[in-house]
Amino acid sequence: MPNAERTRRKPTFNTLAREDQFKNPPKDGSTYHILNEFVAPHIESFNALFDDSGLPSGDGDGRGLISLGLEDIGERVVFDGDGKVDNRGWGNRMRIWIESANIARPMVPEKDKHSTTRKVFPSEARERLTSYRGRMTIKLCWTDPQGQRQEMHKDCGLVPIMVRSVRCNIRGMSSAELVKKHEEPEEFGGYFVINGNERLIRYLILPRRNHVISLIRPTFANRGPSYTQYAVQIRCVRPDQTAVTNTLHYLSNGSAMFRFSLRKQEYVIPIMLILKALFGASDKEIFEGVMMQDLENTFLTDRVELLLRSFKMFTLSTGEQCLEYLGDKFRVDWTNHAVGAWLIQKLVLVHVNSPRDKYRMLLFMLRKLYSLVSGSCCQDNPDSPQHQEVLLPGSLYGMIIKERLEETLNQIRNNISLDVRNGATVDFNDKKYFQKILSKINFDIGAKLANFLATGNLVSPTGLDLQQAAGFTIVAEKLNWQRYISHFRCIHRGAFFAELKTTTVRKLLPEAWGFLCPVHTPDGSPCGLLNHLSRTCRIVTSPLSVAHIPAVLAAHGMSQTSATHSIDGRKNLCVQLDGRVIGWARPAIAAQLATNLRIWKTEGVNEIPLDLEIGLVSESKGGQYPGLFLFSSRARMMRPVKYLANGRDDQVGPFEQVYMDIACTPEEIELGVSTHVEHNPTNFLSILANLTPFSDFNQSPRNIYQCQMGKQTMGTPATALQHRTDNKLYRLQTGQSPVVRPALHNTYAMDAFPNGTNAIVAVISYTGYDMEDAMILNKSAHERGFAYGTVYKSQIIDLKDMSGASKTATPTLHFGLGRDIQRHGEKAHHCVDFIDADGLPFVGAKLTSGDPIAAYVDDTTGRTRFAKYKGDEMGLVDQVRLLGADAGDSELQKLHVTLRITRSPVIGDKFSSRHGQKGVCSQKWPAIDMPFTESGMQPDVIINPHAFPSRMTIGMLVESMAGKAGAMHGLAQDATPFKFTEEDTAIEYFGDQLLAAGYNYYGNEPMYSGITGQEFAADIYIGVVYYQRLRHMVLDKFQVRTTGPVDPVTRQPVKGRKRAGGIRFGEMERDALIAHGTSFLLQDRLMNCSDYSTAWVCRSCGSLISLGYEDITLGEVVMGASNSLMPSGPGGEYCRVCRAAAQVQDERERQALANGKAAPPPPQADLKVAISSQHVLGRASKGGDLDVVAVPYVFRYLCAELASMGIAVSLSVT
Amino acid sequence: MSQLPQTANPPQGGRYSVGLVAPKEAMDYNCADCGATNEIKSREPIRCRECGHRIMYKKRTKRMVQFEAR
Repeated sequence: MPNAERTRRKPTFNTLAREDQFKNPPKDGSTYHILNEFVAPHIESFNALFDDSGLPSGDGDGRGLISLGLEDIGERVVFDGDGKVDNRGWGNRMRIWIESANIARPMVPEKDKHSTTRKVFPSEARERLTSYRGRMTIKLCWTDPQGQRQEMHKDCGLVPIMVRSVRCNIRGMSSAELVKKHEEPEEFGGYFVINGNERLIRYLILPRRNHVISLIRPTFANRGPSYTQYAVQIRCVRPDQTAVTNTLHYLSNGSAMFRFSLRKQEYVIPIMLILKALFGASDKEIFEGVMMQDLENTFLTDRVELLLRSFKMFTLSTGEQCLEYLGDKFRVDWTNHAVGAWLIQKLVLVHVNSPRDKYRMLLFMLRKLYSLVSGSCCQDNPDSPQHQEVLLPGSLYGMIIKERLEETLNQIRNNISLDVRNGATVDFNDKKYFQKILSKINFDIGAKLANFLATGNLVSPTGLDLQQAAGFTIVAEKLNWQRYISHFRCIHRGAFFAELKTTTVRKLLPEAWGFLCPVHTPDGSPCGLLNHLSRTCRIVTSPLSVAHIPAVLAAHGMSQTSATHSIDGRKNLCVQLDGRVIGWARPAIAAQLATNLRIWKTEGVNEIPLDLEIGLVSESKGGQYPGLFLFSSRARMMRPVKYLANGRDDQVGPFEQVYMDIACTPEEIELGVSTHVEHNPTNFLSILANLTPFSDFNQSPRNIYQCQMGKQTMGTPATALQHRTDNKLYRLQTGQSPVVRPALHNTYAMDAFPNGTNAIVAVISYTGYDMEDAMILNKSAHERGFAYGTVYKSQIIDLKDMSGASKTATPTLHFGLGRDIQRHGEKAHHCVDFIDADGLPFVGAKLTSGDPIAAYVDDTTGRTRFAKYKGDEMGLVDQVRLLGADAGDSELQKLHVTLRITRSPVIGDKFSSRHGQKGVCSQKWPAIDMPFTESGMQPDVIINPHAFPSRMTIGMLVESMAGKAGAMHGLAQDATPFKFTEEDTAIEYFGDQLLAAGYNYYGNEPMYSGITGQEFAADIYIGVVYYQRLRHMVLDKFQVRTTGPVDPVTRQPVKGRKRAGGIRFGEMERDALIAHGTSFLLQDRLMNCSDYSTAWVCRSCGSLISLGYEDITLGEVVMGASNSLMPSGPGGEYCRVCRAAAQVQDERERQALANGKAAPPPPQADLKVAISSQHVLGRASKGGDLDVVAVPYVFRYLCAELASMGIAVSLSVT
Repeated sequence: MSQLPQTANPPQGGRYSVGLVAPKEAMDYNCADCGATNEIKSREPIRCRECGHRIMYKKRTKRMVQFEAR
């Protein structure tokens, strides 16, 4: 290569640039911006809780979810009278409400006077194994009898704060500042730190909000008499993101029942009652509203008539009457009318405020229900992403906070009214009294939230309209970078569906294209339920301003809602914006409106937001119910595509995507059909699926396997390893940047956290040790550090948990060596090898199982005690952390020791390529015996050619070629899928490169046997493949046992690797031995190596449990009652049953002799077991009729158990 | 290596009042936040004298790790 050309060539690995970036992280921003983008839904949804969220305000006034929630909670009213007219009536009135709630950033407690910085950073919470929390305060207000407003600030405890959120102290920090704060330069937050663990709230799929879906479920018919399988359902969401689900059931008599749940209790109300109650609509209005001039439709007229007629039995004609009727049924405290109004406001279609809007929406639901029943529209699939949205972490958090605040308010009211009822002194003028009431109430909302995050369990009186009560949070394990970032993109269908027997919910639906990754889902029980978001899928988190849209649409031909009575329902489509009927339009106009909206939103005309979803469902015969449905709410999935009409970026949601034609590549665009084109054909894949090189060459299940194995790889979990306190961390010491990588590898900072090693791989059947997916490792490669790994484990020594710790303030246990430990000289205590004078282990000490890891002195006894190293393997003390208290005012009580365990690869460790080709190392083959190529090169890894034909992982073969060429030319090869075509093949491209490097075109080479030196008959396929070392290692799994602990009851070996137990030799294994006729082995496994025992058995009665002993050491003999000699064995043993029976028999015979009658026969045992003579070990000779037999101990146990139930077991010894 | 102060007290003497007469041996630790070396005696609070931080790391060795090269 000429010198000029050499200088022109651009580096493709960017090693030096990366090194520089790592040494000098950017001071003005993040190293990889995309990482902050993909957790945005987590962080922004949390930010949305606060008034200063930094999100656009949309149509609202910019208030956060907590403020909106407080407004929705409203106020509680109590009276100090008992309500009886003769006794001063209701008495004084007190209103109580929470005016505001505030959450502060995490700060050092006030007690601490020493800290130079008041802020607390997440790294401290992680290292000190505490939670990252900020103080929450509320402003509680009430009125005194004069109506004067009183207020009080109340402390609500410490609330866990999401890292990098608006309340976090490292928000917006640049990479350089993050490194100073002991974080990763790529730290992106989105999780909470709870007791030192990183936990996050997982996305959950919920039904799409504010949209009516039709359902046909046979179970609906079981709800009661005349219920049918038909229903329509809407999940209504309030501005504060709390939800209420309303269902409208069709009854077989043609009317409909409205269902909602209040405090986990379900209620059904006739729909007419609500329609009337809303604003007192007349029967005519309702009839016309449902019919919409479709008078020929007798199906509809019949049912509406029935609906109206059946309501006559209630004899409620006005809206007021309806409200009072409702209020009477849901009586709490107020007047009936107020309760009724409250009920409708709080539980019926809560996403819209005005009764007119609710009324229109109910009519729409009714029409959709009748249409479903008549078969003119089909049911909607609730499993389809079209009708789904996402439960955002912040929204859930806000719901819990709101509910807790509401509960405290209710408690205050209940406590006061309880005092009033019990006749205690209640003085609304006295501030002291109010304080007394408050002192009884638990305000610690922070502890409740911390508990929610730590366990994932939702403790809620209302259930928050969710289908599950547990499993909301997960630990963000930093096993490796791939696993870590996957946590933030995973989305669960819900715990409820995991138990479902049917598999329909797990199905991969075409509607999910571009939103949920089809490749990245685990196999096994969570398959299809635990999905991952596609790479470009966003979740809308900021409110949009859409208040002007109805006016804009009306100006372009939509009929407005005020003219509903004159609209023909057959010819018009309903136009809805976020579940509010905003007008009607003829199908052609609706289609035009949809097109207009799309052009406006992509071009920013008329201030239509880009994230508006325009779902135009046109009329069809028996298809989805038609209409123009606009969605602007949060929590929707959206993804970017290109709009062909104007070449602009468009955002597309799953509802509208179903009715759109999106081409995958520009070549696929069909004129007049396609409206959109994908930005990139790989956008439908998740981040991890995108990282599989040449994944389009592989059989699809192999890509699924790689997504799993990528997450189990021993890689680089973090770069700030010194500041991590995880229970277990796996680290690959010799990580490399892959030669063959897709373009996204660089985008997602994969080179900052290498996950494997480039290995020279030969595909050859060489030693026989590569059968069945085994692989042979070159011993010299291993010695050079190939796939060398380390495991970091934590041991926490907390003196508070030790026995003898005082529960009071001053501790009685202290770290250190007491006077009872000799530290020097010849008689020094053995612990001084490991433990320093301060009682802490030396950094670098080598510990084996049972060695002391720390020493502490007990004040009460004055003795030194030791904490032991618990692990089984040799570990080196890597770091010793002395953890202080929150305020830095207490002595050392808690210790965190990081232990480093070396894990060089051994036989039995698991490896895999990036194509779902996993294998176990079967031999470390000496380099001199390895095959070599003509250039003298030896493979690091040998795999068997049989790994390919059935699995069809062509991507791995291509990677091998590409890696070989890339290594020779110094190129980082682009392995992005869908880059090659039938005309321009990958083989050709990389073959040419190989040829240029002086290799065979197809990547195979002549090779020579390392043992004989002879050339192989066939050329061997050899190249460079990126290999991952998986975390499953024999050292964590092997299980052997000769003798060991046994179960105390059965005396059989215990199970479990941890307890040094055995592996069960089960009935199928037993069958195999029987089939083989290897009875000696059978005897050995099931008897001698298990619970072999010897027992005395009575030869005459066959009892195992009736052994008795007599002391005959001095030649004594025992005389019976009748002065006869009692027989016993040579050891003095005898059968108690037989002896007793003999006595009874003797007695009977005597009596029979006296009476002159024949003696009755002795009783028989219930169960007989034959024991062959082989198993009779020793036959007691003289006089005693007991034999010793070998029986399993459990059998003796069984006999004892049976005896306790009154069943005798008799062994017939022959 | 270590500078154990030889206490003359008989081992039995202070059995129940170890806190009063225990050999208060100071050890050096590194602050996890600012990296300053802190001398902390047994039963003293874990707090950095420089920055008030509440985590300390045990030093790897007590031996000198850097020699002045002039």
